[in-house]
Amino acid sequence: MHIAVCLCQVPDTASVIDFFEGALDLSRVNGVMNPFDEYALEEAVRIKERFEGSQVTLFCIAPSSAKEMLRKALAMGGDRALLFSTTEPADTFQTAGMLSRAITDYYGEVLPDLVFCGKHSTDFQSAQVPLMLAELLGMESVSAIIKLEASRAGIHVEREIEGGIESLELHYPALFSVEKGLNVPRKTTIKAVMEARKKPIDLLPVTLSESSCVTITSIKPFVREKKCRVVQDPKELVLLLTHAEALF
Amino acid sequence: MNTFLVFLEQREGVVKKSSIDTWNRAQELAALHPGAAVSALLVGPASTRQLDGCPGGNGVIYHANEEAFRLYNPEHYTRLVVETMKRVAATTLFFADTALSRDLAPRLSVRLKASLLTGCAVDDAWGENGGGCCQRPVYSGAAIASFAPCRPLKIYTCTPRASRISSPITSGARASVVVLEPSSSTSEELFPLVRRMAMHEGVRDVAEARIIVAGGRGMGRAGFGLLEALARLLGGAVGASRPVVDEGWRPHAEQIGQTGKTVAPALYLACAISGAPQHLAAIGSAGIVVAINCDPHAPIFDVADYALVGDVHLLLPKLIEEFREFLKKR
Repeated sequence: MHIAVCLCQVPDTASVIDFFEGALDLSRVNGVMNPFDEYALEEAVRIKERFEGSQVTLFCIAPSSAKEMLRKALAMGGDRALLFSTTEPADTFQTAGMLSRAITDYYGEVLPDLVFCGKHSTDFQSAQVPLMLAELLGMESVSAIIKLEASRAGIHVEREIEGGIESLELHYPALFSVEKGLNVPRKTTIKAVMEARKKPIDLLPVTLSESSCVTITSIKPFVREKKCRVVQDPKELVLLLTHAEALF
Repeated sequence: MNTFLVFLEQREGVVKKSSIDTWNRAQELAALHPGAAVSALLVGPASTRQLDGCPGGNGVIYHANEEAFRLYNPEHYTRLVVETMKRVAATTLFFADTALSRDLAPRLSVRLKASLLTGCAVDDAWGENGGGCCQRPVYSGAAIASFAPCRPLKIYTCTPRASRISSPITSGARASVVVLEPSSSTSEELFPLVRRMAMHEGVRDVAEARIIVAGGRGMGRAGFGLLEALARLLGGAVGASRPVVDEGWRPHAEQIGQTGKTVAPALYLACAISGAPQHLAAIGSAGIVVAINCDPHAPIFDVADYALVGDVHLLLPKLIEEFREFLKKR
């Protein structure tokens, strides 16, 4: 089976998002693999291990510094990484467009059997790229899956909805965006890290041809305005809360 | 001239409150922008009696009440929305921000070549700077970004407002319901196909609850019994921080935070949650925040309206008792 995994880099959770003279300053931010992409990659590798002769190819649009992150992804079980260091896409639609071209360029006429993406990137949380990509590639797709059963004939997945679960059925080729809970990503072993050094990371060009659909007009520091009132005991708290309009 | 189309989502024949809230907000926006008209599309069999007098304002609610739309089918839904957008010549499509709209909206944005803005607070600033702008937190809540659409067609998935309770607009006007002719394409079996939808019995979803009682690791596994009791008493839902879910004490569906849900309840009670940035980002639009924690320097207090410093295991039983007393007297 041919499996593609789309990876992106996000600031690591310990990074401080700074502002310098009013502008966003990401110079001190450490980039890591988007946490949801780890679940996507893990699922791809698990399927590869079940279906003999499968290949997991990683697609990443990022600055060349993302190589380090891709090494980790290769150590987790990817076979080959393709890094597209190009003009930074301005919005999700441009990202999806570039990814779709990168995937069709690599696989040619025949689409990969499976494409996995994280549910969303933790920095912008738009959750748009995966299904835009599916739509551009013309693949069946489901977002935010928490369970996957793949057979040669087709795929069963589950996704969480408000207060319940939906079970879906679909065919190959298919694209999934992955929610936390689908699996527990493996820890990389020293052996896997050594092996990953021999796996190829190709730096490839990709053109930016779509015009953007959305522009970011400003990014400002978020200022919390709340003043906290310390209450003495539960009695006082209930008194204050029950005075609030229409809470109960 | 702006024409708004509001997608009304039903699950098990009941129109979602968040959808009705979105309809009301579209009506408010239309009132601010002369010449704007609002229509709605209700997809799937649902009792429109529920809508009687509830969504006020002007406009037509188109109801696709075919059985084929009872369960969500991405392709059938996509085709229906595209058709309806054309029918009413809509320029703007509003969804409530739900699991369904997060799945459907990106597909539609490609089909319609529309600008898509997800998870946005559509407020009164919507009409400024040429129109259609909205804001939402990014980078785990450290920053707030303004997004502007560039295409003539726009799609929004709107986050709930904690400050306002979804109430009918009493302008005297009443929306009318038009039942759509059955479409010829719905007999086709289109994939992905939702085979089943299983709802959790008696559990209120944390993303939709007006009151959330959330716990952190300090609660201990058994301590969540107290939170469940309090949530039941107040008609709310239980939420959990990431460590709690990682420990396996609570399901991921209850997780609030960067890798969980973003919530906007009217009341958020954080018990033994210290307040990691990822957690705080997800409760940024909550109404009243109450924090109970033994550490007076816990970051959760920076975002709380009311603080109760002390041991949750001692304070919670008292709090439950006080609430019970209050509810009895009322």
